Amino acid sequence: MINLTLADEIVVLALDDSSGEIKPTTLPVANIAAVGGILMELALRGHIDTDLKSLFIVNPAPTGDDLLDPILSEIAAEAERHPSAWWIDELSGRHHDLVERILQRLVKAGILRQEERQFLWVFSRRAYPQVSGREEREAKARLMAVLFKDEVPDPRDTLLLGLANSTGVLSKILTEDELEKASRRIAEVEALEEIGRSVRSVSTQVWYALSIARVSRPD
Amino acid sequence: MEITSQADGLVTIVRISGRIDFATSESLEQVVCAIIAGGRPRVILDMRGVEYISSAGLRAILIAARKAKSAGGGIAIFGLQPGVDEVFTTSGFGKVVPLVPSDAAARQILNA
Repeated sequence: MINLTLADEIVVLALDDSSGEIKPTTLPVANIAAVGGILMELALRGHIDTDLKSLFIVNPAPTGDDLLDPILSEIAAEAERHPSAWWIDELSGRHHDLVERILQRLVKAGILRQEERQFLWVFSRRAYPQVSGREEREAKARLMAVLFKDEVPDPRDTLLLGLANSTGVLSKILTEDELEKASRRIAEVEALEEIGRSVRSVSTQVWYALSIARVSRPD
Repeated sequence: MEITSQADGLVTIVRISGRIDFATSESLEQVVCAIIAGGRPRVILDMRGVEYISSAGLRAILIAARKAKSAGGGIAIFGLQPGVDEVFTTSGFGKVVPLVPSDAAARQILNA
């Protein structure tokens, strides 16, 4: 049994229910979201803190979570301070396998199942269907509460909302009508957390680079 | 960081000075939440003496504001110094927790 981190939760939310794979619309920024989720979790657990200029260590002691601790060590080993956007970019470049590692630990925790599925008769691909779907339902319910209840949002849910919006997951959870109604609230809540803003900014750069690549691709 | 609090009619004024960072944010959260739990959910944060706030500090205020609202009250903040004001403005914090120019405006917004 693991305590789900925000990185685990965003990966669960990013899985397509029918294919058991990360939704194609999220894939380009999935690793960025995983790094963002890890940094957010380290912040919530009191190991790092941020301000407008930088992200810094406040408690270098291990958390005991094998997803969080290697990242915490890398930040602690860096002599110079950097902004959180720098760390998100840097760490997502260093750790290309984060999403796969998260999927594997979710399988180990009994939250996902691993299946080899065949397509075109000869090819196979790995799929991760949810075992009960409870974790996804709970995360979605928290996001809906942040958006549609007249409450001051909880910091953990604020951070999850930022991840869900940056990765395009939110537009899959909400209907077009709900998305339109909630658009102002999404922008307000997403901006509250510095790491959330940084995930947004790094993801936006990726989306922008992809759109340029698409436009300039010859027919 | 130093914190003092004073009950005044329907509101409690919490005066904070120094740095609100990871090392001090928990004390701030505990002090304000204890006031709310004690039946005084309308709290004014006088931040004229605050010279720095980190994300952990903002989170502590957010948690306290959530408790205050669910207890039927709220938190209003005044007296932000320029560097601290920049943090609040960048995060759009004022859209969730009222930032007002004075103690009197804080009382007005809390209906006290």
